[in-house]
Amino acid sequence: MAHSSAGSVEQYNYDIVKKFAIASLIWGIAGMFTGVWLASELAWPFLNFDIAQITFGRLRPVHTSGVIFGFGGNALFATSFYVVQRTCQARLAGSRNAHYFMFYGWNGALIIAGIGYMMGITQAREYAEPEWYVDIMITLVWLVYFWVFVTTITRRNQPHIYVANWFYMAFILATAILHIFNNLAVPVSFTGAKSYSLFAGAQDAMTQWWYGHNAVGFFLTAAFLGMMYYFVPKQAGRPVYSYRLSIVHFWALGFMYMWVGTHHLHWTAIPDWTSSLAAVFSILLLMPSWGGMINGIMTLSGAWDKLRTDPIMMFMITALSFYGMSTFEGPMMALKEVNALSHYTDWTVGHVHSGALGWVALITIGSFYHMIPKLWNTELYSMRLVKLHFFVATLGIILYITAMWSSGIGQGMMLREFDEYGNLANTFISTVTFMHAPLVARAIGGMFFVSGMLLMAFNIYMTIRNAKREPAVGSVAQTVNA
Amino acid sequence: MIEKDPITGVETTGHVWDDNIQEFHNPLPRWWLWTFYATVVFAIIYWVIYPSWPVGSTFIKGINTITYQTDAGEEVTSHWNTRALLARDMQTGKSAMAQKAYLNEIAATSYDDIAKDADKLAFVESYGNGVFGEYCAACHQSGAGGVVGEYPNLIDDDWLWGGAPHEIETTLKIGRIGFMPAYEETFNDAQLTQVANYVLSMSGEKSDPALAAAGEEIFHGQTGGCHYCHTNEGTGLKSQGAANLTDKIWTIADVRGAETDEQRLERVKSVIHNGVNRVMPAWSSRLSDTEIKVLTAYLLNKRAGGQ
Repeated sequence: MAHSSAGSVEQYNYDIVKKFAIASLIWGIAGMFTGVWLASELAWPFLNFDIAQITFGRLRPVHTSGVIFGFGGNALFATSFYVVQRTCQARLAGSRNAHYFMFYGWNGALIIAGIGYMMGITQAREYAEPEWYVDIMITLVWLVYFWVFVTTITRRNQPHIYVANWFYMAFILATAILHIFNNLAVPVSFTGAKSYSLFAGAQDAMTQWWYGHNAVGFFLTAAFLGMMYYFVPKQAGRPVYSYRLSIVHFWALGFMYMWVGTHHLHWTAIPDWTSSLAAVFSILLLMPSWGGMINGIMTLSGAWDKLRTDPIMMFMITALSFYGMSTFEGPMMALKEVNALSHYTDWTVGHVHSGALGWVALITIGSFYHMIPKLWNTELYSMRLVKLHFFVATLGIILYITAMWSSGIGQGMMLREFDEYGNLANTFISTVTFMHAPLVARAIGGMFFVSGMLLMAFNIYMTIRNAKREPAVGSVAQTVNA
Repeated sequence: MIEKDPITGVETTGHVWDDNIQEFHNPLPRWWLWTFYATVVFAIIYWVIYPSWPVGSTFIKGINTITYQTDAGEEVTSHWNTRALLARDMQTGKSAMAQKAYLNEIAATSYDDIAKDADKLAFVESYGNGVFGEYCAACHQSGAGGVVGEYPNLIDDDWLWGGAPHEIETTLKIGRIGFMPAYEETFNDAQLTQVANYVLSMSGEKSDPALAAAGEEIFHGQTGGCHYCHTNEGTGLKSQGAANLTDKIWTIADVRGAETDEQRLERVKSVIHNGVNRVMPAWSSRLSDTEIKVLTAYLLNKRAGGQ
């Protein structure tokens, strides 16, 4: 094959990729630890110690922003810059200042937002909690990101744009649109934190959930499919299963996702037709979502033995399996009849985490185990630790999801149960009492997952330390792996 | 360059990225495509049945209809919609009908007759559990035992505002403001000790007779004026929500929970020193008269030793 020099350290800018990758790991551990703390507060409420700053309502956005935008966001910056350079065979566009602006701007915005949440500063829009000044910072960072990414693609030394880059591009573009429109707000004063949304009532709710669901659709799905489309064939050493499927499911996914946000508002004070449209488009979204899963898993055809021998591959294929499962569960929960049971219960929380831990985190972890040794031109410190990480993480996710199914479906059934006199059979508090055991199991599941992240941090730390000690080692291995 | 894969025999597209990333020319999986078509058919059927697409300032209503009664009792048939669905369920649903029948019976039955009717009592128990659990238990606790000093116990025989059915109903409807003035500026510590000793003596608790005698004078005299509300006999006044001090039931000062005589004295002194200021909210705007009747019957039954 041509282009044998691809991958040399000088050809590509790896410095900014390294920064984002390390930041992603730090946010991952911090954000997931916060998640475990919150899960423990729900199981044992005394754990908030009556300190306002760490009560559930204030700490929860610290967890969600920390893992979605800290862990996930930094991972997407890192991998998109790695992938776009290598598949375009072009050095990353933009100056060092532009790169540093993105890195410090993004992470600074998250830190300011997080401190604000604990002080009670929030827009009260789920996943869009930061107030107007942080929103402006994020917008500026995102515009630079957009420019850097597009310019790199236009400078490519390849006739075609690889599918991973389509997905990254769609994610960057859609996130910009969603972020800007959902955060249109009027600050009360330019010297104060508070602002009011430009929209009101049902329109406000629908704008928020158009944003909220497409944050899932484009930030947590399309972008990570981009990651998958590079790292799975690379790690498997096999061609992507179907070019045609990748085109069809890319456009179908992008088109369908935009319609479904209102399924978060079923049975509330919105017009019925908006609810039906959202439910139906959610069902239409099922197969486009599965296109990505099929293309990823089938890429392994001809190399199925790697599922036994390659722990990194185990992460990736398990991630795709969880992706398939949660994109089946999602459309089902978007049907009004199912939603009447599942909404406002832990079933929703379990569904989100089978996507967030099972899909987003596992594909990121697998990709990092592949990418980080290459960035430092070395080999992983320990493949056995990767394998251990895989089992600890998977066990944690399964414990988490089954606990949330028990808690959510159980509570849903209790809340709709009538007795022979026609009265509701349970009080709200009795359903909460019922949830205690599953909530404990969920917290333990989360602890497993964080333990896995700590193993990873140690493994990566040792890998980088060894690379700095013996800078020459690994170049041979890399050529073999590449 | 298009290559033929030696393992699967499928051709690649000829694109190569980053040394070795290629793509196969596989067609769309058949089952995938047909399942996708099936979801499209589902979508079209759903759109025909239910309200779906916006058209100008209105929307396609769908062919499914729903019949229900308006508040005025008029029968209406409209396109399927959530509000009508709820209205119909409340008008014809099995549980809603059963509940309504019981509530109508309760409204027409006296408290005495409810107490004699096992079936009605069972309904009161079931309905009351829900209402009490959602609205009352947060303060009065799930067993209605209350918290001494904070929220009255509803299963003992001491009712500050009266425990007859009509008195409980009134308390639920209009709420109550329990107030006793603070004596921190009226009494010095010696006087506080004297009055507290007298209060303890009324319930037969251990007290110093000399101090209690001095306290009795303050209680019945101009200095304290306690007898205005607690009466000369110390048996309290329901119209004021003033506690009966002679029935050995302590609703505010937790005398029963104290371990030593000093603690008992301190707790009574503290109540006299700080006064009492408690609020029970009014429920008439949230609960219907029948619901309040069920709740009253529920409490009467609880006090009578029902579950």
